[in-house]
Amino acid sequence: MRYVRLIRSFVTVAFQNVLAYQLNFWVSLLYSILNLGTGVLAVVVLFSQVEAIRGWTPASTLALLGSYLTLGALRQLFIGPSLEALAGMDGEIWSGTFDFTLIRPVDVQFLASVRHWRPLALLDLALGLGVLVTAALRMGTTLTLVDVFAFVISLVAGLVILYAILLAFAGLVFWSPGFLFTWLFDALFQMARYPVGLYPGWLRLILTWVVPVGVMTTVPAQALSGDLSVGALIGSLVLAGMLFAAATWLFRTGLRRYASASS
Amino acid sequence: MNLRGGWALIRATWLSWVQHRGFFFLLAFGWMIPPLIYLFVWSTAAGGGAIGGFTRGQFVAYYLILILVNQLTYSQTNWTVGDVIRYGGMNQLLLRPLSPFFDAVSSEVAGKVVYMLFVIPATALLALVLRPEAEITMTNALAFVPAVLMAWALRFLWGYALALLAFWATRADALLALQDALVFLLAGQVAPTSLLPGALQTVSTVLPFRYMVGFPVEVLLGQLAPAGVLTGLAYQAGWLLIAWLAFRAMWHHGVRRYAAVGG
Repeated sequence: MRYVRLIRSFVTVAFQNVLAYQLNFWVSLLYSILNLGTGVLAVVVLFSQVEAIRGWTPASTLALLGSYLTLGALRQLFIGPSLEALAGMDGEIWSGTFDFTLIRPVDVQFLASVRHWRPLALLDLALGLGVLVTAALRMGTTLTLVDVFAFVISLVAGLVILYAILLAFAGLVFWSPGFLFTWLFDALFQMARYPVGLYPGWLRLILTWVVPVGVMTTVPAQALSGDLSVGALIGSLVLAGMLFAAATWLFRTGLRRYASASS
Repeated sequence: MNLRGGWALIRATWLSWVQHRGFFFLLAFGWMIPPLIYLFVWSTAAGGGAIGGFTRGQFVAYYLILILVNQLTYSQTNWTVGDVIRYGGMNQLLLRPLSPFFDAVSSEVAGKVVYMLFVIPATALLALVLRPEAEITMTNALAFVPAVLMAWALRFLWGYALALLAFWATRADALLALQDALVFLLAGQVAPTSLLPGALQTVSTVLPFRYMVGFPVEVLLGQLAPAGVLTGLAYQAGWLLIAWLAFRAMWHHGVRRYAAVGG
Protein backbone atom coordinates (compact mmCIF):
# COMPACT_ATOMS: atom_id res chain seq x y z
CA MET A 1 0.00 0.00 0.00
CA ARG A 2 2.80 2.34 0.90
CA TYR A 3 4.39 1.61 -2.46
CA VAL A 4 1.20 2.44 -4.33
CA ARG A 5 0.99 5.73 -2.45
CA LEU A 6 4.58 6.51 -3.33
CA ILE A 7 3.99 5.83 -7.02
CA ARG A 8 0.93 8.08 -6.91
CA SER A 9 2.95 10.97 -5.56
CA PHE A 10 5.75 10.43 -8.10
CA VAL A 11 3.17 10.60 -10.89
CA THR A 12 1.52 13.71 -9.45
CA VAL A 13 4.82 15.53 -9.26
CA ALA A 14 5.62 14.53 -12.83
CA PHE A 15 2.27 15.89 -14.07
CA GLN A 16 2.75 19.18 -12.24
CA ASN A 17 6.17 19.47 -13.81
CA VAL A 18 4.85 18.89 -17.32
CA LEU A 19 1.99 21.36 -16.98
CA ALA A 20 4.49 24.14 -16.37
CA TYR A 21 5.90 23.93 -19.89
CA GLN A 22 3.26 24.34 -22.57
CA LEU A 23 5.50 24.64 -25.58
CA ASN A 24 7.17 21.42 -24.59
CA PHE A 25 3.84 19.66 -24.95
CA TRP A 26 3.52 20.67 -28.60
CA VAL A 27 7.12 19.75 -29.35
CA SER A 28 6.56 16.33 -27.78
CA LEU A 29 3.39 15.90 -29.79
CA LEU A 30 5.36 16.63 -32.94
CA TYR A 31 8.01 14.06 -31.94
CA SER A 32 5.34 11.45 -31.26
CA ILE A 33 3.63 12.05 -34.59
CA LEU A 34 6.95 11.91 -36.46
CA ASN A 35 7.80 8.65 -34.72
CA LEU A 36 4.44 7.20 -35.69
CA GLY A 37 4.55 8.59 -39.23
CA THR A 38 8.01 7.27 -40.09
CA GLY A 39 7.12 3.85 -38.65
CA VAL A 40 3.87 3.54 -40.61
CA LEU A 41 5.35 4.93 -43.84
CA ALA A 42 8.24 2.46 -43.60
CA VAL A 43 5.70 -0.38 -43.56
CA VAL A 44 3.75 1.19 -46.43
CA VAL A 45 6.92 1.59 -48.55
CA LEU A 46 7.98 -2.00 -47.89
CA PHE A 47 4.62 -3.49 -48.84
CA SER A 48 4.28 -1.31 -51.93
CA GLN A 49 6.97 -3.61 -53.34
CA VAL A 50 6.09 -7.03 -51.90
CA GLU A 51 2.89 -8.79 -50.86
CA ALA A 52 4.31 -10.58 -47.83
CA ILE A 53 7.70 -11.45 -46.36
CA ARG A 54 8.18 -14.84 -44.77
CA GLY A 55 4.49 -15.00 -43.89
CA TRP A 56 4.32 -11.44 -42.53
CA THR A 57 1.48 -9.49 -44.16
CA PRO A 58 1.00 -5.70 -43.97
CA ALA A 59 -1.57 -6.19 -41.18
CA SER A 60 0.61 -8.41 -39.00
CA THR A 61 3.66 -6.17 -39.56
CA LEU A 62 1.51 -3.25 -38.48
CA ALA A 63 0.53 -5.21 -35.36
CA LEU A 64 4.23 -5.65 -34.67
CA LEU A 65 4.84 -1.93 -35.13
CA GLY A 66 1.98 -1.25 -32.72
CA SER A 67 3.55 -3.54 -30.11
CA TYR A 68 6.90 -1.83 -30.64
CA LEU A 69 5.42 1.65 -30.21
CA THR A 70 3.38 0.58 -27.17
CA LEU A 71 6.36 -1.01 -25.44
CA GLY A 72 8.54 1.97 -26.33
CA ALA A 73 5.93 4.33 -24.87
CA LEU A 74 5.66 2.34 -21.63
CA ARG A 75 9.42 2.41 -21.39
CA GLN A 76 9.49 6.19 -21.84
CA LEU A 77 6.68 6.55 -19.32
CA PHE A 78 8.69 5.46 -16.29
CA ILE A 79 11.31 2.72 -16.72
CA GLY A 80 13.48 4.75 -19.08
CA PRO A 81 13.52 8.09 -17.21
CA SER A 82 14.01 6.38 -13.83
CA LEU A 83 16.91 4.18 -14.88
CA GLU A 84 18.40 6.94 -17.02
CA ALA A 85 18.52 9.20 -13.95
CA LEU A 86 20.37 6.41 -12.21
CA ALA A 87 22.78 5.07 -14.79
CA GLY A 88 22.65 7.44 -17.76
CA MET A 89 24.91 10.29 -18.68
CA ASP A 90 25.67 12.30 -15.51
CA GLY A 91 23.44 9.85 -13.67
CA GLU A 92 23.41 9.34 -9.93
CA ILE A 93 25.95 6.51 -9.93
CA TRP A 94 28.26 8.63 -12.03
CA SER A 95 27.95 11.74 -9.89
CA GLY A 96 27.65 10.07 -6.49
CA THR A 97 24.25 11.55 -5.63
CA PHE A 98 23.03 7.96 -5.49
CA ASP A 99 24.00 8.17 -1.80
CA PHE A 100 20.82 10.16 -1.14
CA THR A 101 18.72 7.53 -2.85
CA LEU A 102 20.29 4.72 -0.84
CA ILE A 103 19.50 6.26 2.53
CA ARG A 104 15.76 6.47 1.83
CA PRO A 105 13.72 3.92 3.80
CA VAL A 106 12.35 2.22 0.68
CA ASP A 107 13.53 -0.71 -1.42
CA VAL A 108 16.30 0.63 -3.68
CA GLN A 109 15.31 -1.31 -6.78
CA PHE A 110 11.73 -0.09 -6.46
CA LEU A 111 12.82 3.49 -6.05
CA ALA A 112 15.33 3.29 -8.89
CA SER A 113 12.73 1.82 -11.27
CA VAL A 114 9.65 3.98 -10.78
CA ARG A 115 10.85 7.28 -9.39
CA HIS A 116 10.73 9.46 -12.50
CA TRP A 117 7.71 9.63 -14.79
CA ARG A 118 7.33 11.23 -18.16
CA PRO A 119 3.59 11.81 -18.65
CA LEU A 120 4.08 13.02 -22.23
CA ALA A 121 4.82 9.41 -23.16
CA LEU A 122 1.07 8.86 -22.81
CA LEU A 123 0.78 10.49 -26.24
CA ASP A 124 3.00 7.77 -27.67
CA LEU A 125 1.03 5.17 -25.79
CA ALA A 126 -2.23 6.38 -27.32
CA LEU A 127 -0.73 6.34 -30.82
CA GLY A 128 0.76 2.87 -30.27
CA LEU A 129 -2.59 1.49 -29.13
CA GLY A 130 -4.19 3.17 -32.13
CA VAL A 131 -1.84 1.31 -34.46
CA LEU A 132 -2.67 -1.96 -32.69
CA VAL A 133 -6.42 -1.39 -33.14
CA THR A 134 -5.94 -0.46 -36.80
CA ALA A 135 -3.87 -3.60 -37.33
CA ALA A 136 -6.49 -5.77 -35.63
CA LEU A 137 -9.23 -4.29 -37.83
CA ARG A 138 -7.18 -4.91 -40.96
CA MET A 139 -6.50 -8.56 -40.14
CA GLY A 140 -9.75 -9.47 -41.85
CA THR A 141 -10.48 -12.18 -39.32
CA THR A 142 -12.53 -11.79 -36.19
CA LEU A 143 -10.42 -11.78 -33.07
CA THR A 144 -11.41 -14.38 -30.52
CA LEU A 145 -11.26 -13.61 -26.84
CA VAL A 146 -8.44 -16.15 -26.57
CA ASP A 147 -6.35 -14.21 -29.11
CA VAL A 148 -6.81 -10.95 -27.22
CA PHE A 149 -5.99 -12.66 -23.95
CA ALA A 150 -2.84 -14.25 -25.41
CA PHE A 151 -1.88 -10.88 -26.86
CA VAL A 152 -2.20 -9.04 -23.55
CA ILE A 153 -0.27 -11.75 -21.70
CA SER A 154 2.55 -11.75 -24.25
CA LEU A 155 2.73 -7.95 -24.28
CA VAL A 156 3.05 -7.95 -20.49
CA ALA A 157 5.77 -10.60 -20.81
CA GLY A 158 7.45 -8.32 -23.36
CA LEU A 159 7.31 -5.41 -20.94
CA VAL A 160 8.84 -7.50 -18.16
CA ILE A 161 11.64 -8.62 -20.51
CA LEU A 162 12.22 -5.00 -21.50
CA TYR A 163 12.37 -3.93 -17.87
CA ALA A 164 14.71 -6.79 -16.96
CA ILE A 165 17.16 -5.99 -19.75
CA LEU A 166 17.16 -2.29 -18.89
CA LEU A 167 17.66 -3.05 -15.21
CA ALA A 168 20.52 -5.42 -16.01
CA PHE A 169 22.15 -2.84 -18.27
CA ALA A 170 21.72 -0.21 -15.56
CA GLY A 171 23.23 -2.64 -13.03
CA LEU A 172 26.30 -3.14 -15.23
CA VAL A 173 27.13 0.51 -14.63
CA PHE A 174 28.26 -0.44 -11.10
CA TRP A 175 31.10 -2.36 -12.72
CA SER A 176 31.86 0.11 -15.46
CA PRO A 177 30.68 3.59 -14.49
CA GLY A 178 30.60 5.96 -17.39
CA PHE A 179 29.79 3.41 -20.06
CA LEU A 180 26.41 4.28 -21.50
CA PHE A 181 24.87 0.82 -21.53
CA THR A 182 21.41 2.28 -22.07
CA TRP A 183 22.56 3.79 -25.35
CA LEU A 184 23.81 0.41 -26.48
CA PHE A 185 20.41 -1.01 -25.66
CA ASP A 186 18.64 1.81 -27.53
CA ALA A 187 20.44 0.80 -30.68
CA LEU A 188 19.55 -2.87 -30.31
CA PHE A 189 15.95 -2.15 -29.29
CA GLN A 190 15.28 -0.61 -32.71
CA MET A 191 15.70 -4.06 -34.19
CA ALA A 192 12.39 -4.96 -32.53
CA ARG A 193 10.66 -2.83 -35.18
CA TYR A 194 10.63 -5.83 -37.51
CA PRO A 195 9.83 -9.51 -36.98
CA VAL A 196 12.81 -11.40 -35.68
CA GLY A 197 12.27 -13.95 -38.46
CA LEU A 198 13.34 -11.42 -41.09
CA TYR A 199 16.90 -11.30 -39.80
CA PRO A 200 19.62 -13.76 -40.81
CA GLY A 201 20.14 -16.82 -38.60
CA TRP A 202 23.06 -15.61 -36.46
CA LEU A 203 21.34 -12.32 -35.69
CA ARG A 204 18.07 -14.12 -34.89
CA LEU A 205 19.92 -16.21 -32.32
CA ILE A 206 21.33 -13.08 -30.69
CA LEU A 207 17.98 -11.30 -30.70
CA THR A 208 16.25 -14.32 -29.16
CA TRP A 209 18.77 -15.61 -26.64
CA VAL A 210 21.42 -12.99 -25.90
CA VAL A 211 19.50 -9.72 -25.91
CA PRO A 212 15.93 -10.95 -26.46
CA VAL A 213 14.53 -7.77 -27.99
CA GLY A 214 13.12 -9.85 -30.83
CA VAL A 215 10.83 -11.79 -28.50
CA MET A 216 9.30 -8.64 -27.02
CA THR A 217 7.42 -7.59 -30.14
CA THR A 218 7.33 -10.67 -32.37
CA VAL A 219 5.38 -12.82 -29.91
CA PRO A 220 2.57 -10.27 -29.24
CA ALA A 221 2.21 -9.60 -32.97
CA GLN A 222 1.89 -13.33 -33.63
CA ALA A 223 -0.71 -13.57 -30.89
CA LEU A 224 -2.78 -10.84 -32.49
CA SER A 225 -2.54 -12.50 -35.92
CA GLY A 226 -3.64 -15.78 -34.33
CA ASP A 227 -0.56 -17.78 -35.30
CA LEU A 228 1.03 -18.10 -31.90
CA SER A 229 1.65 -21.56 -30.51
CA VAL A 230 0.95 -22.24 -26.85
CA GLY A 231 4.58 -23.27 -26.46
CA ALA A 232 5.86 -19.88 -27.63
CA LEU A 233 3.54 -18.07 -25.23
CA ILE A 234 4.65 -20.16 -22.26
CA GLY A 235 8.24 -19.82 -23.42
CA SER A 236 8.08 -16.05 -23.42
CA LEU A 237 6.51 -16.06 -19.95
CA VAL A 238 9.25 -18.35 -18.61
CA LEU A 239 11.89 -16.17 -20.27
CA ALA A 240 10.36 -13.07 -18.71
CA GLY A 241 10.40 -14.64 -15.23
CA MET A 242 13.97 -15.87 -15.58
CA LEU A 243 15.26 -12.56 -16.90
CA PHE A 244 13.50 -10.66 -14.14
CA ALA A 245 15.13 -12.84 -11.48
CA ALA A 246 18.56 -12.66 -13.14
CA ALA A 247 18.40 -8.88 -13.59
CA THR A 248 17.31 -8.36 -10.00
CA TRP A 249 20.20 -10.50 -8.82
CA LEU A 250 22.64 -8.62 -11.05
CA PHE A 251 21.40 -5.25 -9.88
CA ARG A 252 21.61 -6.17 -6.20
CA THR A 253 25.07 -7.70 -6.58
CA GLY A 254 26.22 -4.57 -8.37
CA LEU A 255 24.70 -2.41 -5.68
CA ARG A 256 27.10 -3.91 -3.15
CA ARG A 257 30.01 -2.69 -5.24
CA TYR A 258 28.80 0.89 -5.14
CA ALA A 259 31.37 2.99 -3.33
CA SER A 260 30.01 6.48 -3.98
CA ALA A 261 31.87 9.05 -6.05
CA SER A 262 33.12 12.52 -5.60
CA SER A 263 34.99 15.07 -7.57
CA MET B 1 40.89 34.24 -42.24
CA ASN B 2 43.07 32.87 -39.46
CA LEU B 3 43.96 29.60 -41.13
CA ARG B 4 46.84 28.63 -38.83
CA GLY B 5 44.69 29.06 -35.74
CA GLY B 6 41.91 27.15 -37.47
CA TRP B 7 44.18 24.23 -38.20
CA ALA B 8 45.48 24.16 -34.61
CA LEU B 9 41.90 24.05 -33.35
CA ILE B 10 41.02 21.24 -35.75
CA ARG B 11 44.00 19.17 -34.61
CA ALA B 12 43.35 19.76 -30.92
CA THR B 13 39.69 18.77 -31.19
CA TRP B 14 40.47 15.69 -33.19
CA LEU B 15 43.15 14.50 -30.75
CA SER B 16 40.94 15.05 -27.73
CA TRP B 17 38.07 13.17 -29.41
CA VAL B 18 40.23 10.17 -30.19
CA GLN B 19 40.92 9.91 -26.46
CA HIS B 20 37.21 9.51 -25.77
CA ARG B 21 36.73 7.02 -28.58
CA GLY B 22 34.61 4.56 -26.61
CA PHE B 23 31.83 7.11 -26.40
CA PHE B 24 32.01 7.99 -30.08
CA PHE B 25 32.17 4.36 -31.14
CA LEU B 26 28.94 3.85 -29.25
CA LEU B 27 27.35 6.77 -31.11
CA ALA B 28 28.57 5.43 -34.44
CA PHE B 29 27.18 1.99 -33.59
CA GLY B 30 23.80 3.56 -32.85
CA TRP B 31 23.74 5.38 -36.19
CA MET B 32 24.62 2.21 -38.08
CA ILE B 33 21.63 0.29 -36.82
CA PRO B 34 18.70 1.86 -38.75
CA PRO B 35 20.25 1.34 -42.22
CA LEU B 36 21.35 -2.11 -41.08
CA ILE B 37 17.76 -3.02 -40.19
CA TYR B 38 16.58 -2.04 -43.68
CA LEU B 39 19.50 -3.94 -45.20
CA PHE B 40 18.20 -7.10 -43.55
CA VAL B 41 14.53 -6.43 -44.25
CA TRP B 42 15.04 -5.70 -47.96
CA SER B 43 17.53 -8.47 -48.61
CA THR B 44 15.18 -10.97 -46.94
CA ALA B 45 12.30 -9.58 -48.99
CA ALA B 46 14.31 -10.01 -52.20
CA GLY B 47 15.18 -13.61 -51.30
CA GLY B 48 16.31 -15.41 -54.44
CA GLY B 49 14.63 -12.95 -56.83
CA ALA B 50 14.75 -9.22 -57.35
CA ILE B 51 12.72 -6.22 -56.23
CA GLY B 52 12.70 -3.18 -58.52
CA GLY B 53 15.97 -4.35 -60.09
CA PHE B 54 17.71 -5.04 -56.80
CA THR B 55 18.85 -8.56 -55.96
CA ARG B 56 19.73 -9.62 -52.42
CA GLY B 57 23.44 -8.92 -52.94
CA GLN B 58 22.72 -5.53 -54.46
CA PHE B 59 20.61 -4.49 -51.50
CA VAL B 60 23.51 -5.48 -49.24
CA ALA B 61 25.97 -3.43 -51.32
CA TYR B 62 23.60 -0.46 -51.42
CA TYR B 63 23.09 -0.36 -47.67
CA LEU B 64 26.71 -1.01 -46.71
CA ILE B 65 27.81 1.94 -48.83
CA LEU B 66 24.89 3.95 -47.46
CA ILE B 67 26.16 3.29 -43.93
CA LEU B 68 29.55 4.73 -44.89
CA VAL B 69 28.14 7.73 -46.74
CA ASN B 70 25.63 8.43 -43.98
CA GLN B 71 28.41 8.47 -41.43
CA LEU B 72 30.62 10.65 -43.63
CA THR B 73 27.94 13.25 -44.25
CA TYR B 74 26.16 13.06 -40.89
CA SER B 75 26.05 16.55 -39.44
CA GLN B 76 26.34 16.51 -35.68
CA THR B 77 26.71 20.30 -35.67
CA ASN B 78 23.03 20.13 -36.29
CA TRP B 79 22.47 19.53 -32.63
CA THR B 80 25.59 20.88 -30.94
CA VAL B 81 25.53 24.42 -32.36
CA GLY B 82 21.96 24.91 -31.18
CA ASP B 83 22.92 23.83 -27.67
CA VAL B 84 25.93 26.12 -27.64
CA ILE B 85 23.66 29.04 -28.45
CA ARG B 86 20.95 28.02 -25.95
CA TYR B 87 23.33 27.48 -23.05
CA GLY B 88 25.39 30.58 -23.68
CA GLY B 89 28.57 28.76 -24.75
CA MET B 90 28.67 30.97 -27.82
CA ASN B 91 30.23 33.72 -25.67
CA GLN B 92 33.62 32.07 -25.57
CA LEU B 93 33.54 31.19 -29.22
CA LEU B 94 32.72 34.75 -30.23
CA LEU B 95 35.60 36.11 -28.18
CA ARG B 96 38.19 34.03 -30.00
CA PRO B 97 40.12 35.73 -32.78
CA LEU B 98 38.66 33.11 -35.07
CA SER B 99 35.27 32.60 -36.67
CA PRO B 100 33.03 30.18 -34.67
CA PHE B 101 32.61 28.46 -38.02
CA PHE B 102 36.05 26.92 -37.43
CA ASP B 103 34.81 25.41 -34.22
CA ALA B 104 32.08 23.59 -36.12
CA VAL B 105 34.52 22.52 -38.84
CA SER B 106 36.97 21.20 -36.25
CA SER B 107 34.41 19.02 -34.48
CA GLU B 108 33.27 17.93 -37.94
CA VAL B 109 36.76 16.73 -38.90
CA ALA B 110 37.39 15.23 -35.46
CA GLY B 111 34.10 13.40 -35.62
CA LYS B 112 34.74 11.98 -39.06
CA VAL B 113 38.16 10.68 -38.03
CA VAL B 114 36.86 8.99 -34.88
CA TYR B 115 33.68 7.54 -36.43
CA MET B 116 35.54 6.15 -39.41
CA LEU B 117 37.89 4.27 -37.07
CA PHE B 118 34.82 2.32 -36.03
CA VAL B 119 32.60 2.29 -39.09
CA ILE B 120 35.13 1.17 -41.71
CA PRO B 121 36.19 -2.04 -39.91
CA ALA B 122 32.57 -2.73 -38.92
CA THR B 123 31.32 -2.39 -42.51
CA ALA B 124 34.21 -4.48 -43.81
CA LEU B 125 33.30 -7.23 -41.36
CA LEU B 126 29.64 -7.06 -42.39
CA ALA B 127 30.69 -7.23 -46.05
CA LEU B 128 32.57 -10.45 -45.34
CA VAL B 129 29.53 -12.00 -43.67
CA LEU B 130 26.77 -10.68 -45.95
CA ARG B 131 28.43 -10.98 -49.37
CA PRO B 132 27.47 -7.81 -51.28
CA GLU B 133 27.33 -7.79 -55.07
CA ALA B 134 28.41 -4.66 -56.89
CA GLU B 135 30.24 -3.64 -60.02
CA ILE B 136 31.99 -0.34 -59.54
CA THR B 137 33.35 1.24 -62.70
CA MET B 138 36.05 3.89 -62.84
CA THR B 139 33.64 6.52 -64.21
CA ASN B 140 31.18 5.94 -61.40
CA ALA B 141 33.91 6.06 -58.80
CA LEU B 142 35.09 9.39 -60.23
CA ALA B 143 31.55 10.81 -60.27
CA PHE B 144 31.12 9.62 -56.68
CA VAL B 145 33.83 11.97 -55.42
CA PRO B 146 32.08 15.29 -56.18
CA ALA B 147 28.71 13.74 -55.25
CA VAL B 148 29.84 12.72 -51.78
CA LEU B 149 31.74 15.97 -51.16
CA MET B 150 28.73 18.05 -52.09
CA ALA B 151 26.51 15.77 -50.04
CA TRP B 152 28.69 16.42 -47.02
CA ALA B 153 28.83 20.19 -47.60
CA LEU B 154 25.08 20.36 -48.19
CA ARG B 155 24.16 18.39 -45.07
CA PHE B 156 26.67 20.35 -43.00
CA LEU B 157 25.55 23.82 -44.11
CA TRP B 158 21.87 22.90 -44.06
CA GLY B 159 22.21 21.53 -40.54
CA TYR B 160 24.21 24.54 -39.38
CA ALA B 161 21.63 26.94 -40.81
CA LEU B 162 18.79 25.06 -39.08
CA ALA B 163 20.72 25.02 -35.81
CA LEU B 164 21.16 28.80 -36.04
CA LEU B 165 17.38 29.12 -35.68
CA ALA B 166 18.21 28.79 -31.98
CA PHE B 167 19.07 32.50 -32.13
CA TRP B 168 15.35 33.19 -32.56
CA ALA B 169 13.51 30.30 -30.90
CA THR B 170 14.60 28.20 -27.94
CA ARG B 171 12.91 25.04 -29.13
CA ALA B 172 14.21 25.12 -32.67
CA ASP B 173 15.47 21.58 -32.14
CA ALA B 174 11.95 20.41 -32.94
CA LEU B 175 12.70 21.27 -36.57
CA LEU B 176 15.80 19.10 -36.44
CA ALA B 177 13.67 16.10 -35.51
CA LEU B 178 11.46 16.85 -38.49
CA GLN B 179 14.56 17.00 -40.66
CA ASP B 180 15.77 13.65 -39.35
CA ALA B 181 12.41 12.10 -40.18
CA LEU B 182 12.58 13.48 -43.73
CA VAL B 183 16.14 12.22 -44.17
CA PHE B 184 15.01 8.80 -43.00
CA LEU B 185 12.11 8.69 -45.47
CA LEU B 186 13.41 10.55 -48.50
CA ALA B 187 17.20 10.18 -48.48
CA GLY B 188 17.26 6.51 -49.39
CA GLN B 189 17.34 5.00 -45.92
CA VAL B 190 13.96 3.36 -45.56
CA ALA B 191 14.33 2.18 -49.15
CA PRO B 192 16.45 3.14 -52.17
CA THR B 193 14.62 6.20 -53.57
CA SER B 194 13.81 4.36 -56.80
CA LEU B 195 11.62 1.97 -54.78
CA LEU B 196 9.55 4.68 -53.10
CA PRO B 197 5.89 4.77 -54.17
CA GLY B 198 4.89 7.43 -56.76
CA ALA B 199 4.39 10.71 -54.93
CA LEU B 200 7.14 10.13 -52.37
CA GLN B 201 9.60 9.44 -55.17
CA THR B 202 8.81 12.71 -56.93
CA VAL B 203 9.15 14.61 -53.65
CA SER B 204 12.48 12.93 -52.92
CA THR B 205 13.88 14.03 -56.30
CA VAL B 206 13.06 17.66 -55.67
CA LEU B 207 13.86 18.08 -51.97
CA PRO B 208 17.50 18.27 -50.80
CA PHE B 209 17.49 15.16 -48.57
CA ARG B 210 18.27 12.56 -51.22
CA TYR B 211 21.32 14.61 -52.20
CA MET B 212 22.68 14.35 -48.65
CA VAL B 213 22.88 10.56 -48.49
CA GLY B 214 21.24 8.38 -51.13
CA PHE B 215 22.39 10.11 -54.31
CA PRO B 216 26.16 9.45 -53.96
CA VAL B 217 25.41 5.79 -53.22
CA GLU B 218 23.30 5.49 -56.37
CA VAL B 219 26.08 7.16 -58.37
CA LEU B 220 28.78 4.82 -57.08
CA LEU B 221 26.75 1.68 -57.74
CA GLY B 222 25.89 2.79 -61.28
CA GLN B 223 22.13 2.85 -60.75
CA LEU B 224 21.72 6.11 -62.65
CA ALA B 225 22.02 6.87 -66.36
CA PRO B 226 24.64 9.55 -67.22
CA ALA B 227 21.84 12.11 -67.63
CA GLY B 228 20.51 11.19 -64.16
CA VAL B 229 23.94 11.69 -62.64
CA LEU B 230 24.27 15.15 -64.21
CA THR B 231 20.75 16.24 -63.17
CA GLY B 232 21.50 15.00 -59.67
CA LEU B 233 24.75 16.90 -59.46
CA ALA B 234 22.95 20.02 -60.69
CA TYR B 235 20.27 19.64 -58.00
CA GLN B 236 23.01 19.12 -55.44
CA ALA B 237 24.86 22.25 -56.50
CA GLY B 238 21.63 24.25 -56.48
CA TRP B 239 20.66 23.16 -52.98
CA LEU B 240 24.21 23.72 -51.81
CA LEU B 241 24.05 27.31 -53.02
CA ILE B 242 20.71 27.84 -51.28
CA ALA B 243 22.04 26.32 -48.05
CA TRP B 244 25.13 28.52 -48.20
CA LEU B 245 23.07 31.69 -48.73
CA ALA B 246 20.68 30.73 -45.95
CA PHE B 247 23.57 30.03 -43.62
CA ARG B 248 25.22 33.37 -44.42
CA ALA B 249 22.03 35.35 -43.98
CA MET B 250 21.08 33.61 -40.75
CA TRP B 251 24.49 33.99 -39.22
CA HIS B 252 24.62 37.66 -40.18
CA HIS B 253 21.24 38.51 -38.65
CA GLY B 254 21.26 35.96 -35.85
CA VAL B 255 24.51 36.84 -34.21
CA ARG B 256 23.28 40.41 -33.69
CA ARG B 257 20.29 39.12 -31.80
CA TYR B 258 22.39 36.88 -29.61
CA ALA B 259 22.16 37.73 -25.94
CA ALA B 260 24.19 35.41 -23.79
CA VAL B 261 22.56 33.20 -21.20
CA GLY B 262 24.22 31.48 -18.29
CA GLY B 263 27.31 32.17 -16.29
